[in-house]
Amino acid sequence: MANAVEFRNISKSYRRRTVLDGVNLTIEKGDFAVIYGLPAAGKSVLMRLLMGLEKPTQGEIRLRGSDASRMEPGERNIGYVPQSFALYPHLTVYDNIAYPLKMKRVQANQIRSIVTEAAQLLKIEGLLEKRPDQISGGQKQRVAIARGIVKQTDIYILDDPLAGLDFKLREQLVDDLKQLQERFGSTFIYTTSDPLETMSLAKHVAVLDGGRIVEHGTPEQLYASPAHVSTMRLLGFPPANVLEASWYEKDGRPWCKTALFEFPVQWEKGEGGLPGKTGEGFIGFRPESIEISAEERDGLIRFPCRFALREDLGGEEIVYIESGSTVLTMVVRHDERETLANVANVKHALIDPSNLYIFDRRDGRRIGKGAAYVVN
Amino acid sequence: MAKSVRQSLYYVLLWLISIAFFLPVLWIFLAAFKTKEQILAIPPKWIFTPTFENISNMFSGMNFEKYAVNSVIISLSAVVIAIIVSFFASYSFSRYKPKGTDFLMFLLLSMRMVPGAAVVVPIYLMYTALGWKDTYYGIILLYAMFSIPFSVWILKGFIDGVSLRYDETALVNGGSRMHVMFRVILPQVKPGLVAAFIFNIIFVWNEFLFNFIIGGKKVTTIPVALATGLYKTHGVDWTFIASLSLVYMLPLILMIYFFQRYLLVGMTFGTVRGEV
Repeated sequence: MANAVEFRNISKSYRRRTVLDGVNLTIEKGDFAVIYGLPAAGKSVLMRLLMGLEKPTQGEIRLRGSDASRMEPGERNIGYVPQSFALYPHLTVYDNIAYPLKMKRVQANQIRSIVTEAAQLLKIEGLLEKRPDQISGGQKQRVAIARGIVKQTDIYILDDPLAGLDFKLREQLVDDLKQLQERFGSTFIYTTSDPLETMSLAKHVAVLDGGRIVEHGTPEQLYASPAHVSTMRLLGFPPANVLEASWYEKDGRPWCKTALFEFPVQWEKGEGGLPGKTGEGFIGFRPESIEISAEERDGLIRFPCRFALREDLGGEEIVYIESGSTVLTMVVRHDERETLANVANVKHALIDPSNLYIFDRRDGRRIGKGAAYVVN
Repeated sequence: MAKSVRQSLYYVLLWLISIAFFLPVLWIFLAAFKTKEQILAIPPKWIFTPTFENISNMFSGMNFEKYAVNSVIISLSAVVIAIIVSFFASYSFSRYKPKGTDFLMFLLLSMRMVPGAAVVVPIYLMYTALGWKDTYYGIILLYAMFSIPFSVWILKGFIDGVSLRYDETALVNGGSRMHVMFRVILPQVKPGLVAAFIFNIIFVWNEFLFNFIIGGKKVTTIPVALATGLYKTHGVDWTFIASLSLVYMLPLILMIYFFQRYLLVGMTFGTVRGEV
């Protein structure tokens, strides 16, 4: 499949600040690509570069297979749904949605049918004659999305379009967006700092951190087997547990040590070869990898802990457990809460070492996993 | 009870102060409809039969129409030019943020802080050298120049308040910069334009010094006409002053009455926008 967008070694600096530092990313045609990163990670800057609103300090952007550096923003034929709506307050909802078509000099009767269709699709037919200040936040967002999609092009940019909306609206719009993309079959490039949106929308996720794309893949891949510590840290809710760790050799086998426990390591062969006999880095594991149990179980790491805080989310519960000065996050399904109550007095945390990922301190890359635990 | 009495007292006091301030204006308004004897009567006559003779004399006896037309043409053109230039300037300041924007903005405003008397001599010399004295374009450009700093300040405040996403949406959909400025930004900063317009029109309409020094017979505006027409053979010409003052103040008073909410915008340099 051909590429819709290709970023080749893109850097962008403002006066003293470097926002993007060598971004490499390829987005295929028909993808629902989510650029995921913390607020102010440079997602919007990357999108502005793609739309031609700013020039990269360095690097090349290829759009539909050709160099985009000399294309004006208007020539790039990209549908755009900006953050914070940006609906023209002096125009009606209808005229707002029709705006990209008018700019393209589409015939008036054609405009009417396209706008009506888009409005039906987003369930805002009743609002067409209103002005933006007469409709609610969720409706505004739908109008902004409608304005973004009427252009009927092959690439759409949605720059954190659901930011600031309430939870229920976001869920609805996430579903709608997914359906829209499937129906159009066009490329959606979506930026967000919300891990749940990312997981539910993306066909592919690119994690932007420290001015670079640290990892790119399907959300399942990235969640289950993150190759970079930033992916581990950022993607997923509740956030993963990341601890400082160091490794050394014991009886000819590599072992990893954290403030809480030790476990044997299985190195993975990466680009840089195997790590040295000793070194420092991080280990990361998902909240759902922790279990609370009274008994010891073979092959599992076990350490004492106490409950620091419990947050009931309804379907599940987030439990913050404390061991020494370390606080870890775990998730308990609602139907498992009874087990939790039974062991409440004993409180030992169990972790399967194969769920532990080890990352190098220098570049954040994953270098190994926990190996089967040998009980001495 | 005590509270309401105190409040009433405050109101009485406020009314008294307001009346004290407003009385001279009222006096000159009433004087426009009095005979010379009635004007000078002591104690002042509050009840009298109004005469329209002063106003009709004004239209027949002197170049009133010319002064009025000059005032209107000069103030409108100067302010319109100033606002057009300021709109471009403030858009650039707001969006392109050239190096030293803050300093340039300060410099602009400081121009407005210089008293006219301090620059009147150099400007007189300059205008003499250029041969711009007593010309419409000369006086209009001077007033436009004085009106620009304030307008830039107000408009920049407004344009800063319009999210950059609007510009981006327009550009991505193929709009030019001109399209962005006039079709996207302009409709959203109308209150700023009105505020800049009102504030500057008040300034230019009332300006006396420069019209007196670098103007001449051709471009005389009402304030200068008022001052130069003050004396007649028999002393101060009160009926003339009163009637000219009336027609001179009326347009401004009406404008301020209808656009007073924009004055707040102007006084806060566009930082208070919610009201309009």
